[in-house]
Amino acid sequence: MRKKVLQGVSFALSMVLIPTMLTGCRFGFASDPDDPNEEVKEEPIDTSLDTFEYDSSLSGTNITLLNSKAEIQVALGKMGEEFEKKSGVHVEVMPVTDDSPYTKVVSLYNSGNPPTMSILDTTDVIALAEEKGADLSDEDWVEEAEDYVTEVNGKIYSLPLCIEGRGVIYNRAVIEEALGETFDPESITTLEEFAELLDRLSAAGVKKPVSMAKEDWSLGAHHLQFVYETYDGTSEGAQEVIEQLKAGTMDLASYSRMQEFLDMFDVLREYNVAKGDPLGADYDEMAIDLVDGKTAFWFNGNWAWPNLSEAGAGNEDEYGFLPYFMNNDADDFANQKIQGSPSKQVMLDGQMATEKEQAAAKEFLNWIVYSETGQQMMVKTCNLIPPFQNNPYEPGDPLSRDIYEKVHAGQAFNASAIVPNDHWSVLGAAMQKYLAGRSDREELIGAIQEYWEEQE
Amino acid sequence: MKSKNNGKDFCIFALPGLFCFIAVVIIPFVYGVYLTMTDWNGVSAVKNFVGLKNFAGVVKDAQFWTSLLLTFKYVIFVVVIVNVMAFGIAYLLTRGMKGQNFFRAGFFTPNLIGGIVLGYIWQFVFSRVFVSIGETTGWKAFEVSWLSDPSKAFAALVLVSVWQLSGYMILIYVAGFMGLSEDVMEAASIDGASGWRKMRSIVMPLMMSSVTICLFLTLSRAFMVYDVNLSLTAGAPYGTTEMAAMHVYEKAFTSRQFGVGQAEALILFIIVACISGIQVYLTKKKEVEA
Amino acid sequence: MQQTTVGGTKKKMADALAMAGLIIIFAAYMFPFLMVVINSLKQKRDIIKSPFSWLFTIKGLSFDNFVKAFTQMEFLNAFKNSLIVTVSATALVTLFAAMLAYYIVRHKNWISNLTFALMVASMIIPFQAIMIPLVSIYGGTLNILNHRITLIFMHTGFSMAMSVFMFHGFINGNIPIALEEAAYIDGCTHSQTFFKIVFPLLKPIISTMVILNALAFWNDFLLPSLVLTDKELLTLPLSTYSFYGTYSADYGTIMAGLLLCVIPILILYMVLQKQIINGVVAGAVK
Repeated sequence: MRKKVLQGVSFALSMVLIPTMLTGCRFGFASDPDDPNEEVKEEPIDTSLDTFEYDSSLSGTNITLLNSKAEIQVALGKMGEEFEKKSGVHVEVMPVTDDSPYTKVVSLYNSGNPPTMSILDTTDVIALAEEKGADLSDEDWVEEAEDYVTEVNGKIYSLPLCIEGRGVIYNRAVIEEALGETFDPESITTLEEFAELLDRLSAAGVKKPVSMAKEDWSLGAHHLQFVYETYDGTSEGAQEVIEQLKAGTMDLASYSRMQEFLDMFDVLREYNVAKGDPLGADYDEMAIDLVDGKTAFWFNGNWAWPNLSEAGAGNEDEYGFLPYFMNNDADDFANQKIQGSPSKQVMLDGQMATEKEQAAAKEFLNWIVYSETGQQMMVKTCNLIPPFQNNPYEPGDPLSRDIYEKVHAGQAFNASAIVPNDHWSVLGAAMQKYLAGRSDREELIGAIQEYWEEQE
Repeated sequence: MKSKNNGKDFCIFALPGLFCFIAVVIIPFVYGVYLTMTDWNGVSAVKNFVGLKNFAGVVKDAQFWTSLLLTFKYVIFVVVIVNVMAFGIAYLLTRGMKGQNFFRAGFFTPNLIGGIVLGYIWQFVFSRVFVSIGETTGWKAFEVSWLSDPSKAFAALVLVSVWQLSGYMILIYVAGFMGLSEDVMEAASIDGASGWRKMRSIVMPLMMSSVTICLFLTLSRAFMVYDVNLSLTAGAPYGTTEMAAMHVYEKAFTSRQFGVGQAEALILFIIVACISGIQVYLTKKKEVEA
Repeated sequence: MQQTTVGGTKKKMADALAMAGLIIIFAAYMFPFLMVVINSLKQKRDIIKSPFSWLFTIKGLSFDNFVKAFTQMEFLNAFKNSLIVTVSATALVTLFAAMLAYYIVRHKNWISNLTFALMVASMIIPFQAIMIPLVSIYGGTLNILNHRITLIFMHTGFSMAMSVFMFHGFINGNIPIALEEAAYIDGCTHSQTFFKIVFPLLKPIISTMVILNALAFWNDFLLPSLVLTDKELLTLPLSTYSFYGTYSADYGTIMAGLLLCVIPILILYMVLQKQIINGVVAGAVK
């Protein structure tokens, strides 16, 4: 009886809902700017030329791809469809419906139903590779990726999906309008000059020209990791700092990069638009403020473009990155170069996947790197900066374009600090406390030092 | 009932439910307890027996004990406020006033939405709506987001939990009041000081079984708060509002110390079991006396 | 002052005061929902910049969010999945829990005592403590995840303790054993007695348990997210997840999606609400 009630309810409901939905279409939703999963302006993909060789014996294979990069979920789906048209291999793209990709992968492995491929953060790849990953060291694309591959004990288990860069994003129009002169980003070479610029902007009406996110991943990973990464601008150097910290042989308080990092952080903090309530700052509002000209700078990475574009910025607008200035030495690489390194990696399951599934997955990865369609879709549909030098397509949005150009002009340094998985959350909390002015340098540095000494 | 039918009765009546329960709750729980004594990291195929090493890890985890202490504070606030409020509102809603059905339905609405979503809604209200009200009206209380100050964020967490849990408890108390006879209700509705005394000496004892259930439910739910904690504050600002259950989850998955996290979950369970046990024992005793 | 009161006026005043208090608390209760409804009709920029402003003061007010949520969630399919899971699990748990509770109340032996004690204790096991073992047993060893039936079974198992607890209390307090004894004298078997005599008397508590369990199943996120990965099988809460980006959320669509998820359960509640209250009254009169 109860079942009948429910069925009745559901029927009545669908009767009520459907007409509403249909009339709703009048408002038009085809080009809605609010959707994070939808590229605002999708560039057409030219599929006429295809020299990629497909292995017809793989046709009909089903493989899965776990995607932890939510903003390209729809785009990846499209890529999968396109690939299926050509190769006959069906790629099911699964979103991470949980807060952490690692948790999702672990539970999928426990459930005996792991994805054939997973898009993971570098730390996750290192944690899982030897246990679960398939060895990809002999794949052709390794050569195209050069320095951007991640090795685990001499072997390669993952394909670097994209390069992401971060720094201080500027809105050129805002600066030029406020100061009434042309703005040359290259003219800012030291922390002092940057602070002076902020001061002038402040005097010219852009009272608090900087936005900085309060989120622990921004503070704990994107800000703080400069301390390790700027050691000498290489991944090895970052690793060395970390080893010394773990071993307790480095006194963080007297490590120059630590103090320099905080000097820059203090400057940003001083001119923070949300200075009155830094922990109440809203991420989405920052994008709007930068586009509207309430601020001129936002500390973030090229992944922020969809937010800016949603807030009204267009591809023809001039946005770009300034380095994270560490000191007043104009010759210091940290003041000249932008940090740009591979962030998401695709790992292939080597444990449960059949030979055929693995072969199909490898074909998909090759297709991304080598086929004309795959190359275009990586750049245009997914809006990624591919780390493969054979990909001739240039990104369309200003932020990615700036990173892309800097990478190719040698104005970027590639250093990834491999830190434990809870680094961003534990030390992100310590950074929040510092940001809010509730702790001083000594306490913050103490917390960082203590965190590292607890690590095995 | 006759004892010769006992076996058959058991199979028909008890077995289906018991089977589901044991298969889904008890077996995984026991297996989980076993896992606390291994070094399993959640992924690897090998599990080595390590005895009580993980429990030693719990002792060393200062943040766990801090979060546990905070949880106690939270539980006290939530349990007291929820029950006093629900009892009062249920009392008002059984006096036969106009629109009481409407109110009963209304107060229950927070229960129509899952905890994670509730947390997000309130996060939006606290961080955007209240701040925007503060900007327009200049009210000091809303000037900065509640979620960026440790004690206000804690208050926000209590507030949202009260909001979420009280509707459910109102329903149980309403059922309790409706179970009382007319005479008792009449006695309770006399106003003034003697009314209060009657409330305490006549109504309360009869309501004790509802009180037992509500206390038990609020206690256990408050101790295990996770959804709202995660989506409302996620421990912010700087980890000051991280409750025990959330810490367990973080430990197991973010810090990847699965065994320690599992051991902490077990300790949490034992603490909650003891406290609820004592509470049920004490309130049941009152029921019997009445 | 209390001694000279003439019941009437004082009571009226108290009632008015109580009413006023109730309305204030009630308004505070409803405030977040009001915010959701208002903002579900706005565009993102307006939501962020002026979340509190009223509908007519905003430029682009439309049902776009609803349309988008509806299509992007694949609402009808997700709705069907949610409905199947919720209805089946609710029916199962109601029936099994009522029978089990009845058995425990009427058979005072060690099995029922142990069962009841275990169930009460299990109500305070944090879900986090059994999450991974659960997935590892059902996925790794038995390999039966990613089926609706598994989710239904798990929902049934997880809500068993709470339901038995509630049924137990009700049967204990409201079902006189004399009725059953009369039935036995008339020659009824135990099953007949239960289904014909006892079960109908449980109506009030059944309504309550149906609504509570259905709500829990309908809204649950964590368990379905562990069990179901196949896109075709996703329930409503899982399908709204796609609106959350890595760094920012699409507030308008989320709120519209949220309302779409809530409306069905709101209707069910309104339908059953009368029954619940009536049931409670009937139970009270005895």
